[in-house]
Amino acid sequence: MSGMRGLSVFISDIRNCQNKEAERLRVDKELGNIRTCFKNDKGLTPYKKKKYVWKMLYIHMLGYDVDFGHMEAVSLISAPKYPEKQVGYIVTSCLLNENHDFLRLAINAVRNDIIGRNETYQCLALTLVGNIGGREFAESLAPDVQKLLISSSCRPLVRKKAALCLLRLFRKNPDVVNADGWADRMAQLLDERDLGVLTSSMSLLVSLVSNDYEGYSSCLPKCVKILERLARNQDVPQEYTYYGIPSPWLQVKTMRALQYFPTIEDPSTRRSLFEVLQRILMGTDVVKNVNKNNASHAVLFEALSLVMHLNAEKEMMSQCVALLGKFISVREPNIRYLGLENMTRMLMITDAQDIIKKHQPQIITSLKDPDISIRRRALDLLYGMCDVSNAKGIVEELLQYLSTAEFSMREELSLKAAILAEKFAPDLSWYVDVILQLIDNAGDFVSDDIWFRVVQFVTNNEDLQPYAASKVREYMDKIAIHETMVKVSAYILGEYGHLLARRPGCSARELFGILHEKLPTVSSPTIPLLLSTYAKLLMHAQPPDIELQKQIWNVFKKYESSIDVEIQQRAVEYFELSKKGAALMDVLAEMPKFPERQSSLIKKVEDVEDTADQSAIKLRAQQLPSNALVLADPQPVNGTPPPLKVPSISGIKLDHESASQTQSQPNGDLSKAQSQIPSADLVGEMVDSLAIEAPPVDMGSHQRVYREEDGIPDEVDGTAIVPIGDQANKVEPIGNITERFNALCLKDSGVLYEDPYIQIGVKAEWRGHHGRLVLFLGNKVTSPLTSVQALILPPAHLKLELSLVPDTIPPRAQVQCPLEVMNIRPSRDVAVLDFSYKFGTSMVSAKLRLPAVLNKFLQPLQLTSEEFFPQWRSLSGPPLKLQEVVRGVRPLSLPEMENLFNSFRVTICPGLDPNPNNLVASTTFYSENTRPMLCLARIETDPADRTQLRLTVASGDSTLTFELKEFIKEQLIAIPMGSRALVPAVPVPAAPLAQPPSPAVDANDPGAMLAGLL
Amino acid sequence: MPVAASAIYFLNLRGDVLINRTYRDDVGGNMVDAFRTHIMQTKELGNCPVRQIGGCSFVYMRISNVYIVIVASSNANVACGFKFVVEAVALFKSYFGGAFDEDAIRNNFVLIYELLDEIMDFGYPQNLSPEILKLYITQEGVRSPFSSKPKDKPVPNATLQVTGAVGWRREGLSYKKNEVFLDIVESVNLLMSSKGNVLRCDVTGKVLMKCFLSGMPDLKLGLNDKIGLEKESEMKSRPAKSGKTIELDDVTFHQCVNLTRFNSEKTVSFVPPDGEFELMKYRITEGVNLPFRVLPTINELGRTRMEVNVKVKSVFGAKMFALGVVVKIPVPKQTAKTNFQVTTGRAKYNPSIDCLVWKIRKFPGQTESTLSAEIELISTMGEKKSWTRPPIQMEFQVPMFTASGLRVRFLKVWEKSGYNTVEWVRYITKAGSYEIRC
Repeated sequence: MSGMRGLSVFISDIRNCQNKEAERLRVDKELGNIRTCFKNDKGLTPYKKKKYVWKMLYIHMLGYDVDFGHMEAVSLISAPKYPEKQVGYIVTSCLLNENHDFLRLAINAVRNDIIGRNETYQCLALTLVGNIGGREFAESLAPDVQKLLISSSCRPLVRKKAALCLLRLFRKNPDVVNADGWADRMAQLLDERDLGVLTSSMSLLVSLVSNDYEGYSSCLPKCVKILERLARNQDVPQEYTYYGIPSPWLQVKTMRALQYFPTIEDPSTRRSLFEVLQRILMGTDVVKNVNKNNASHAVLFEALSLVMHLNAEKEMMSQCVALLGKFISVREPNIRYLGLENMTRMLMITDAQDIIKKHQPQIITSLKDPDISIRRRALDLLYGMCDVSNAKGIVEELLQYLSTAEFSMREELSLKAAILAEKFAPDLSWYVDVILQLIDNAGDFVSDDIWFRVVQFVTNNEDLQPYAASKVREYMDKIAIHETMVKVSAYILGEYGHLLARRPGCSARELFGILHEKLPTVSSPTIPLLLSTYAKLLMHAQPPDIELQKQIWNVFKKYESSIDVEIQQRAVEYFELSKKGAALMDVLAEMPKFPERQSSLIKKVEDVEDTADQSAIKLRAQQLPSNALVLADPQPVNGTPPPLKVPSISGIKLDHESASQTQSQPNGDLSKAQSQIPSADLVGEMVDSLAIEAPPVDMGSHQRVYREEDGIPDEVDGTAIVPIGDQANKVEPIGNITERFNALCLKDSGVLYEDPYIQIGVKAEWRGHHGRLVLFLGNKVTSPLTSVQALILPPAHLKLELSLVPDTIPPRAQVQCPLEVMNIRPSRDVAVLDFSYKFGTSMVSAKLRLPAVLNKFLQPLQLTSEEFFPQWRSLSGPPLKLQEVVRGVRPLSLPEMENLFNSFRVTICPGLDPNPNNLVASTTFYSENTRPMLCLARIETDPADRTQLRLTVASGDSTLTFELKEFIKEQLIAIPMGSRALVPAVPVPAAPLAQPPSPAVDANDPGAMLAGLL
Repeated sequence: MPVAASAIYFLNLRGDVLINRTYRDDVGGNMVDAFRTHIMQTKELGNCPVRQIGGCSFVYMRISNVYIVIVASSNANVACGFKFVVEAVALFKSYFGGAFDEDAIRNNFVLIYELLDEIMDFGYPQNLSPEILKLYITQEGVRSPFSSKPKDKPVPNATLQVTGAVGWRREGLSYKKNEVFLDIVESVNLLMSSKGNVLRCDVTGKVLMKCFLSGMPDLKLGLNDKIGLEKESEMKSRPAKSGKTIELDDVTFHQCVNLTRFNSEKTVSFVPPDGEFELMKYRITEGVNLPFRVLPTINELGRTRMEVNVKVKSVFGAKMFALGVVVKIPVPKQTAKTNFQVTTGRAKYNPSIDCLVWKIRKFPGQTESTLSAEIELISTMGEKKSWTRPPIQMEFQVPMFTASGLRVRFLKVWEKSGYNTVEWVRYITKAGSYEIRC
C-alpha cells in the first residue's frame, strides 16, 4: 500500500475534516473523481485502478454508499501482481455479498487461483470464498477445495483455510459434502499432527455431524484420541499452548463434536474418554489469572456437558455436582452463573437431586447476589430442585426474599412460589397460609390466577373452609391491605363467613362492617365482588337481620345508578333478589365444587420462561402431578363447559323471561350465541357467575341464557350456568362458508373456513389445466389439534392429489398442505374436502367445497372484431352454440356485469357489438382431454328489465358449451350478496319461470345442491 | 410584557456550556443536560426549534458554531424569545466587531456577563440597542489591546436616555456633513414549473438606512406604494397619478417610526437612530418583475447518458446588469464525465453537491446565454432508482432594480437648525430561493 500518495493524501484530508459535513463534501468530491476516472475511455493503468479501488474501500468503510466500481474491483482479482490481486480480493469481499450477480464473474478467476501453485494466491482465494462464497461457489469450487484440504503437498496454512472454506461451502449447500465419500477422508484428516489444521477441520466436523452424525462414526475414536493427546499434553507445540492449557479451542470443539453422537458404543473408547474427562474435571481449579480461568473453564464446562450427555456413572456425576458446588461459591460471577446454570441442567437429566440438595444453603445465598442474572439462575435452580422434603424451607426462603427482591423479578418469583406451594404442600392449610402471605407481601405482583387457584382449593375442600375464612378474617384486621387480599377475603368470607358465625367479631354484621370499610379504597373491578359478598352475607344472616338488611340495601341502592354496567347490574339484581325472601337461599346457595383441572399457573410460567430448553420448568411439567393436591385431567380450555352443579329450582323465574325465550326460539341463528364463547379460566368465570347462580331452566338444547331481570342475553357468563347435559357440543364456523366459497371462486387466495380453533386458508395458482392449491391449516389456540384428517371427494372430471396432512397441528402453528389439481374435461361439479379434527375431546368435522371450479381453467383472452366474427359465424347452431333466455337475473348494471365476467376470466371485448346493451366476451378453456378451446359468449340485456337477458355461448366442444353456459347462468343468478347469503340457498328451477330476483340455483346443478346440503 | 426566558445558555457544538445566565429560579441548573441528551445528541436537532422536556420549554437556535438555548418554565412568549436572541447576537456582534462564535465568547466572558445582566431583567427583555448600551457599558473587547486609552467623553445621562421619549437616539450629535443613505434590498423567491408556469413567487424586501445627521432630525419617506399614494391624493384632493403603484403586505417598521402618523396620514415619518438600522420590512406577492427566465431541457439518453440544455434570459432593462450570476443545474449522483459548451461565463461539475455550477460574472439586461452539456453516467450496482430531478437553482444580484417596482418618491429631512443634507438611494435585487423545475 505504500507509495500510493493519492490515497494517503485523501485519507489525511478526511482525517483533517473538522466536522461530518466537511467529510461528506470531501468524500463526494473524491467519488466524483473516481467516477470520472473509471469512465475514462482510455482505460486505467493497474496502479491507478488499484489506488482508486483502495479509496473506494476506504469510503465504504467510512459508511458511505459505494454503488459503482464493483466491476473494477472484481477485474483486479485476475491481475497478475500481488498488490493488485490483494486489493481485488479484499474489496470484493467487503463490498459484495453472496447474492450479488457480479460474483459470478469472479468464480473463474478465483478457481484459477485455487488450483494454481501460488500459496499466497490460494490463501487469498480461499479467504474470499470462506467469507462470501454462496451456492454457486459451492457447486463449482467444492471439489477443488476438498482436494486442497486433503493434499499432503500443501502447507498447513493453506489447508487450514481450505477447511474453513469448505465449512462455509457446506453451510451454503450441504450437498457438496456427502458422508459416503467424505467420512473416511475426514477421519484421515483427524490424524493430522498440525494442531492448526486440526482445529479448522474440527470446526468442519462439528458442522458436519450436527447435520448428520451417522456417516461419521469412524471419526469418533479419532476425536477421543485427539482429546487424549491434548489432555496428556503430548506433542503440543508451544504456540498452541494458551496459559499452560494445550489448545483449549480444539478441546472445546472436539467435545462439542462428541456431543452430537448419541452414545459411544465401544467400551475401550468410552473408557479412555472418561479417563480424559476425569482428568479435566480433576485438574481444573480457579486461579488468579482471568485469561487462564476463562480458558480452563471453557474446557471444563464443555466437559461437564459432555459428561451429562453421555450419562456417566453416578460417581462421576456426583463428582461433577461437587465441582459445581464449589463453583457456585467462588467469587467470580461468571463462574457462579455457569455453575448454577449447569446445576439446573444437571437436574433435568440425572437423579442427582440428593447431591444437589446439599448445596441448598449456598444456592439460597446466591439469591442475594448483586448480579441479577445470577439471582435469576438461582431462582430457577431452587424452583427446579424443590420437592416435598425441602419445599417448606424453600418456599419460606422465597417469601422472605420476595420483600427484598427487585420489581422485575417479583412477579416471576411470586408465581413460582405459588406453584411450589401448591405442588409440594404438606397440608392445605399451609398452602393457604403461604398464598395469603404472598398476597400480603407482594400483592401487586400476584396475578389473578394465583388467588383464583386458592379459591378453587378452598371451595373443593370442605375442611379447609373454616380455616381459610378465619385466616382471611385475621388479615382483614390489618390496617392497609392489598386489593387482591380484599378480593380473596371478600370471596371467602362471602362463601364461608357464616362458618365462623360463633366466633367473636365474626357475625354477619361485623363482617359486613369490616368489608365495607375497604369499599372506598378499591378499584371498580373489585366492587362487584364486594356486592356479591354482601348479598351472600345477607342470605346467610339467619334469622334475617333487619339492621344489616337496611345497610346492605342502602349500598345496593347507591350503586343502582353506577356508571359501571357490571356494578349497576349486580346492584339492581341483588336488590331485587334480596326482596324475594326465602328464595334467596336457593339462588345464592354455596358455590359447587370445581372440576379438578391443571393449574393455569404452570402453563403461565411455561410461557414466561425465557431459557426454555434448560429450565427446570420443563422438568417440573414432566414430573408427577403433586402429591398433596390432585391436579390431573387438564380440561380443554374451550368446548364442553365444565359440569357445574347448579342448585335446582326457582321461584323467581320471571314470566316475561320465558315468554321472550319462546319468542326467540324460532329465530334461526339462535344457537349461534352459545358455545363459541371462549371460556376464561374457570375461577374467573366463577367470580362472574357468583352474581347469578341462576335457576336452571330447561330450555332444550337451543337456548340462550338470560339474566334474571333484564332479559339481556348473557353471552359472557353463559358457560358457567348452563345446565350440564344440555349443552350441544358443536363448534360453529365463523363467517358463512358459502359466502367464503363464492368469494374464492372469483379470487385465488382467501379464507375457506374458520371456527374458534382452526382457520383454513387457500392459496391457488392455475396454469392451463393444471392447478396447485395450498391449504393453510392454522391452529388458533394454544393447545394442539389432534386427529386431523382431510379427505378429498373429487368429482369425475378432476384429478386431485392431496399431500399428506399431519395428524396433529401444534399450538399456534400453521401447516401447509399442497394439493395438485388437474382438469380432465369440462364440468361444473365441485370437489369437496371432508375435514375433521379433534380438539380436546370434541370432534369437529366440516365438509367444504374446494374452489377448483370451471372458471379457474379459463384463460382470459381479448379478441378483435376480425378474430371474433369469423369464429362466431363458424360455430353455428346447437350443440356447439347454445342460446337461452335467462330470467330472474340479479339486476346488474353493464359495467358491473363486465366486472363480473372479467373476474371469472371471461374477457369482455368492448366495442365489438354495435348494440351498447350487449356484451361480447371470449376466453380459452384448458383441460386434459381437449386442446385449448376458444369459447365465445354474447349477452344481450334488456335495458327495460335488468332481470332478464339472452345468453349465447359458443365453443368447439358441445359439453364445454353447455357447461360454460350453465356456469355463467349460475353466476348471473346465484351470486349471493351480503345478507342474502345467510339464507340457505334453495334449489329452484330457474330457467322457465319468471322469478323475482332471488338467490336461486339450477336444480340440476350438483354443486349447488351440495351447497344446499352443506 | 411577556416573559421571554428563565435562563439563557450558550453551548458549543459538543454541548458544553460556554456561558449561562439564570434570570429566574423556576428552572433547575441541570435542565441544560436534558437539552443535551434529548435534543443535541439525537436527530431531533434542527427539526423543531421549540421543544418541551420535563415541563420546560427549550427555545434554541444555532448561530455559527454556538447554540443559544433559552429555557423557560412558565408560559413564555416564544416569538419574543427568538427576537431577543437575534437582537442579542446583533448586539454582541457590534461589541466584538463582527464575528460571533465560540472563540469570541471565550474571549469576552466578562463583557458578555455584563451585557446579559443589562439586556434582560427577571426574564423580561430590556433595551438591546447597541447605540444606547455602548454609552454606559464601555468596556472594550479584547479586539484592540493596544488601542489608545479611552477618550474622556462626558458621561452621558444614561437614565434619561433610556426613559426618554426618543430612547433610540441620543442628543447632541453633530456631523460636519449631514448624509443619509437608503438602500432597498429585495430578495426574490420563485418556484417555476418546467413549462414556465409560476408556481410560487414572492419578494421580501427591506429598507436599510444609515444616518449621519446632527441634532434631532425628523425624516419623512415617501414610496410609490398604493395606500400611501391613495391617501396622499385624497388629502390633496387631486386624482391619483397614473403609473405603477405597489401593494405592500406585512409591513413592519422599526420602533422609531411614528405609527400614529402612519395610521392617519399613511406616511413614514421618524426620528432615526444614529448609524445603521433597518427601517422597514415588507413582502410582495403580486406583480413581481422576474429578472431572469430560465428554459431548461434535460434529456436522458439511455441509462448512461444525458443531455442538458439551459437557456437563461435576462428580462430587466438593457442598461442594467446582473452580477454574480450562478446557475446550479442538478445532475444524478452517478455522474462520471461532463462536457460543456457555454456562451458566456464558466461551468464546472461539482460532485459534492451533485450539480453543474455555471457562473457568469456580469450579465447585461435583455440578453440571453446558454449552456449545453453532455453528461455520462457510470453504471451502478444497486437497482436503478429513477432520478428525482431536483430544481435548478439560481443566484444573482441586480443593482438598481427592484423586482417589486418599488421606488422612493421622496425622503425629506427636517431639523430645527435647517442644515442641508445629502440623500443617497440605492436599489438592489437578490435571489432568494430562485428555483426552476426541470
